[in-house]
Amino acid sequence: MPMTEKARFESIWEEYRLPVLAYCLRRLPQADAEDVCAEIFLVLWRRLDDVPPPPRTLLYLYGIAGKVLSNHLRSWRRRSRLDERARSLGVTPADDPGVLIVQSSEDERVTTAVRKLSPRAREIVMLYAWEDLSRKEIAEVLGMTKAAVDQTIHRSYRRLERVLEPVPGMRTTNSPPLADEGGT
Amino acid sequence: MMHEQIDRMVRRANPVSDPKTLEDTASVLIVDMDRRIEMQTDDRPTVAGRNNWRGALIGLAAATVILLGGLVYYLNRQATPEVAEPAPNAADLPGFRMEIDPGAYYTDADGAGPSTVRGTFVIEDDGWASLEAGAMYHYRSDAETYVALIVSRIDDVASPGCDDTEWVAAADTVEEVAGQFATLPGLAIRQAVAPIVAFGYEGYYMAARVPSDIEPDSGIGGSHPPCGDGYFQVWRGPVWQDRLYQAPNQMLEFWFLDVDGTPILVEASSFRTSSEQDLAALQSVLDTLVITP
Repeated sequence: MPMTEKARFESIWEEYRLPVLAYCLRRLPQADAEDVCAEIFLVLWRRLDDVPPPPRTLLYLYGIAGKVLSNHLRSWRRRSRLDERARSLGVTPADDPGVLIVQSSEDERVTTAVRKLSPRAREIVMLYAWEDLSRKEIAEVLGMTKAAVDQTIHRSYRRLERVLEPVPGMRTTNSPPLADEGGT
Repeated sequence: MMHEQIDRMVRRANPVSDPKTLEDTASVLIVDMDRRIEMQTDDRPTVAGRNNWRGALIGLAAATVILLGGLVYYLNRQATPEVAEPAPNAADLPGFRMEIDPGAYYTDADGAGPSTVRGTFVIEDDGWASLEAGAMYHYRSDAETYVALIVSRIDDVASPGCDDTEWVAAADTVEEVAGQFATLPGLAIRQAVAPIVAFGYEGYYMAARVPSDIEPDSGIGGSHPPCGDGYFQVWRGPVWQDRLYQAPNQMLEFWFLDVDGTPILVEASSFRTSSEQDLAALQSVLDTLVITP
């Protein structure tokens, strides 16, 4: 007997709410993350007929999540412009949705560097390292070829490597000297 | 540092390394979800309802197209060459890679909103998805066979197209823009730039092929062929910020059109491995394309 729509939705919610909430919290402050997470599942509810069965369900959810997040950030940027006007009138606006969770200074340095990648590269790196998707899965979520995902990760890690060169006094013993670390 | 070290550092910096710790937050969220879904439930159309709407809309659009087509034919039966009228009630394309149902759509070719330069076309089959400024058919991430259509103003042209791309402003005339494309290092020319009248406008046509040596290496720690990133960038416009090609030997056709002084590019892309059916689907959409200033 087929599940009712509500029952199917609840089963998807039960199964995937935590990874989707984690996805949002990795990218937004908590209040925004909860809002975006709810919106993602709302979109899912409206498109329940299109949701593929496992194991593709989570990839489909990440696909929706990317678009909802993108819309949210666009709204936030609009709001920021309004905030600038508010500041000029002496009103203090809310904080921006920057980094959220308390991390060690080294982890924060890495997170900051990841956030400074281009939007596409950042999303690929996050899906790869934080959501732990395979490169083929990332290609499916973002509509790219796997080869392009491979290369974006390769290129992004090269950039992170340059940005995250150990600062004086923090060099590890197995790091090569700066002069050997590739081109300029 | 080695890439493996970077990978470890990025993974260690994961702000939420164990989603199971979010159980409390999720339990609060479910209350909000229930409320939102309750608000949505009554509005959510049934599949049958949606299909009825879709069928009715397509029928209405088709009837209008036929009526208008007949009227245009009657009024302009002596005029040559024939140029189709834009399909009425065309819809804005949904977000990138969203599936699109059969119907009429437009691309905001100059990024200035639907009231200015736009390319309108009619999709008749299932299997199409939207691009930033166009549509693609039978896209699959693991197969290089899909076909695509883009209509956009050209703002910048790459120089060169591979690593360390720099951008130069597109020239003022379509002839010069076509020349910029034709002289882009690496872009293999299949058919030289030639004047043409297409889609109701004068302009230039050329056919090209993405270079064969952009094949990326095998990923982290691999070698670096000329386009080490696997991207070959050619142009960018107001809607499509960074048009790049990911597949070697992708086949490209360009129509550079002077749309009342605005240089507009119509780009059709395919692969040698694209099926006859896919190529025919692309051609059928191109046949409906109307550009309005």
